[in-house]
Amino acid sequence: MIEQMIVNGLLAGFIYIIMALGFTLIFGIMRIVNFAHGEFYMAGAVVVLFLFGALGWNFFLAVVMAGFLAAALGIVIERVLFRPLVGNELPGMIMSLAVGITLQSIALILFGPSEQSIERPFSGTWQLVNAVVPWDRTVVAIAALVILAAFYLFLKYSRLGLAMQAVAQDRETASLMGVESGLIYASAFGIACALARLAGGLMAPIYTIGPYMGELPMLKAFVVVILGGLGSVPGAVLGGLLIGLSESVLSTLFSSTTALIASFTIVLLIVVMRPTGLMGRGAP
Amino acid sequence: MSALLEVQGLTRRFGGLTAVSDVSFAVSEGEIFGVIGPNGAGKTTLFNVIAGHYKPSAGTATFSGRGISGLRSDVIARLGIARTFQAVHLFAAETVAENLRRARVLSTSHGPFAYLRSFGTGRREPDLRDVATFVGLGPLLDQTAGGLAYGLQKMLGIGMALMVTPKLLLMDEPAAGLNPSEKRAASALIRRLRDERGISILLVEHDMPLVMGVCDRILVVNQGKPIAIGSPDAVKADPAVIDAYLGDDYEFA
Amino acid sequence: MKRLILLAAIVILAVLPWLANNRYVFHIATMIAIMAPLALSMNLMLRIGQLSMAHSAFMGIGAYASALLTMRLGLPPLASLLCGGVLAALTALVLGPVFLRIKGVYFVLLTYAFGQIVNLVFQEWTSLFGGNSGLYGIPKFSLAGYRLTAVSQYYVLALLFTAIAYWMVRAIERSDIGAILQSLNEDEMLSRSIGADALSWRIAVFTFSAAIAGISGGIYAFYIGFLSPQAFGFQLSVDLVVMNVIGGTSAALGPLLGAIVVVPLPELLREAKQYQLLIYGLCLMVFLIFIKQGLVSLIDRPRRKPA
Ligand SMILES: Nc1ncnc2c1ncn2[C@@H]1O[C@H](COP(=O)(O)OP(=O)(O)OP(=O)(O)O)[C@@H](O)[C@H]1O
Ligand SMILES: [Mg+2]
Repeated sequence: MIEQMIVNGLLAGFIYIIMALGFTLIFGIMRIVNFAHGEFYMAGAVVVLFLFGALGWNFFLAVVMAGFLAAALGIVIERVLFRPLVGNELPGMIMSLAVGITLQSIALILFGPSEQSIERPFSGTWQLVNAVVPWDRTVVAIAALVILAAFYLFLKYSRLGLAMQAVAQDRETASLMGVESGLIYASAFGIACALARLAGGLMAPIYTIGPYMGELPMLKAFVVVILGGLGSVPGAVLGGLLIGLSESVLSTLFSSTTALIASFTIVLLIVVMRPTGLMGRGAP
Repeated sequence: MSALLEVQGLTRRFGGLTAVSDVSFAVSEGEIFGVIGPNGAGKTTLFNVIAGHYKPSAGTATFSGRGISGLRSDVIARLGIARTFQAVHLFAAETVAENLRRARVLSTSHGPFAYLRSFGTGRREPDLRDVATFVGLGPLLDQTAGGLAYGLQKMLGIGMALMVTPKLLLMDEPAAGLNPSEKRAASALIRRLRDERGISILLVEHDMPLVMGVCDRILVVNQGKPIAIGSPDAVKADPAVIDAYLGDDYEFA
Repeated sequence: MKRLILLAAIVILAVLPWLANNRYVFHIATMIAIMAPLALSMNLMLRIGQLSMAHSAFMGIGAYASALLTMRLGLPPLASLLCGGVLAALTALVLGPVFLRIKGVYFVLLTYAFGQIVNLVFQEWTSLFGGNSGLYGIPKFSLAGYRLTAVSQYYVLALLFTAIAYWMVRAIERSDIGAILQSLNEDEMLSRSIGADALSWRIAVFTFSAAIAGISGGIYAFYIGFLSPQAFGFQLSVDLVVMNVIGGTSAALGPLLGAIVVVPLPELLREAKQYQLLIYGLCLMVFLIFIKQGLVSLIDRPRRKPA
């Protein structure tokens, strides 16, 4: 029982982490709370649905393709829609709502409101100590770890990653040092979109796919990222695991709504007491 | 002369940096008290702590015998400490008259309850024109504040601070960016603030002739720490002060 | 002059439903008149520079309170309606001192979380609120023995409240309070250095705007006669923001225009939800980038700020 709760919690946690990564990246760099995050995630699942489900591509190839398409789209969206609003928190946020609504409506027009599912590329379970672990979630967790590691290496060692960190830390100083912030914004947005879509693509076989599927991961990303600290990547990791575990325990012992109320209450307390989250830095 | 403002061991840290370190001094009623020091010495931070914009990390400030450290900035302002800013702060899109009027409204109707009370009293003091004339903006009441020359914008800042009818005015570099004749007017204004309105002044200023000319006493800070305090002549001759400014092209006239 | 023409146009628009004399037109008009005060209450929040995602919750609190007070305690509808407003206001008054210290994005997140919690409570506490299946059997609104049954009567009630809310926001805008709020929003440090108690003013605005939202919620409850938590979700707060963006936030007329334009959209495109969303999203983008000041700016050129 306890082992099962922990395993479920950790698996959910890894999923939440990759749901939250792109969201936290956009906030860290552009100071935009991206309400369209869930819709990018949905778009990823839809691409996988098409490539893997309908055209019979290899699953991983389809997921990676979804990521690339997302990056391209993200760069365009950033340049056309968000760049004119840089530095304006509230309009930026409202723009993200507009983007989310538009993406959702496009999905509705293309697919209708019905939910679809695709054949699971992995099935069955395996035994870990006393817990039953489904294979499909195991694959997602491993993929999440790989993405996380790649993202970490990218931030730590690539020129672009370092420049992004500089911008996230202090926009003015970074621009004084010659970091071209426009390029950084575009690539951050592209990468964040790609991360969202990778997450969506990976999750496609596990949940059903539909225009409204983005709401749940949006909510999770939100909670995870506030808990860990908006804009902080280690915070997203910590937050994801904490929320995954606490939800697993609370929903086993009580109900899933109780778990949700608890998450939001935590968010509320965190924002009031320590707006920068557990791992965030600097004052808001 | 009794102490109007008394500062004891005031300290403010930002992370690892101690911007204001164990500063103590007292400003008497009717005194013009100067604070000087090189760039980044912590003068503005000292003002921000006294005026309540930052909380002190340690130490206390007492105003008219009442402890003010840790109070909110608006509470401190209402107790009678007004301030002007190093950078120009004003409502740029509004006229000079509207800026002054707003300053009066903001101080008399400082909160919702005060606003409701203000209907009963109908108090309309201090007078806009009076203050505008006092700071030399009398003929410019209808000009847009954002369009004024820089020196006049600074005067407007002083005018807005006067709308609080302060007992003590903290002035952060009132003469920076002014031309020589404006500087003369500014130093005359500082004296008139004290002589005609009875306002004590705490003055931060880089212009040495001006500071030395108007101040009764001067505190010198360097890297947050106080290094000398005394009359202009005493401070000018202090080796620690000369040392602190060495390499800077300040003129002790 | 332009303003007069516009007001005349709004008055004509307001009496239009009687000319059409069609139930459906009356329904849409009533929904506009219910949402307009909510959009105005969001406008007040935007004036203090805070985007509130809690207003859907305030509307919900007002709606459920009015309904339950009449249903369970047998209070006269008007008393319940006012109590609903007071309850929403009290909630804001209690939250304000904590919430309003926090600004910008974090305030949005905070109010979002609060809105979600309130909504989950509506869903979860089924014995009181009826849960996701809804709260049925709300009696009709009545005043001095006169029961409101026809849509047109509810339209008058809602319109009356819209007029009151509009008049109040206009009065605030024109009085010294307007100048104070604008000052606080433009330069808080300066305003506080002159003595303005920023937090108290924000709490006052938050409380007042929650009261408006709560009363609108009550009118909604009596009109629709059935409440479900979905009506008071995140989407509602977003809609209120959208009305302000499209109408413009710089004048009280803005949210009014916003409500007139935005509310009928879902009703007109009832059969094609997807196109409704598409139009919604695209309009929002266009307004955010090209018509930043909203519809009012096309009618009433705002004062130019000097460069
Ligand atoms: N909010 C803040 N956060 C972090 N460091 C700060 C902050 N405000 C000031 N500092 C630092 O404190 C030190 C003192 O700054 P301050 O502005 O008080 O100096 P100053 O004496 O007014 O300088 P100047 O003559 O240039 O106006 C500086 O090193 C500055 O970078
Ligand atoms: Mg300074």
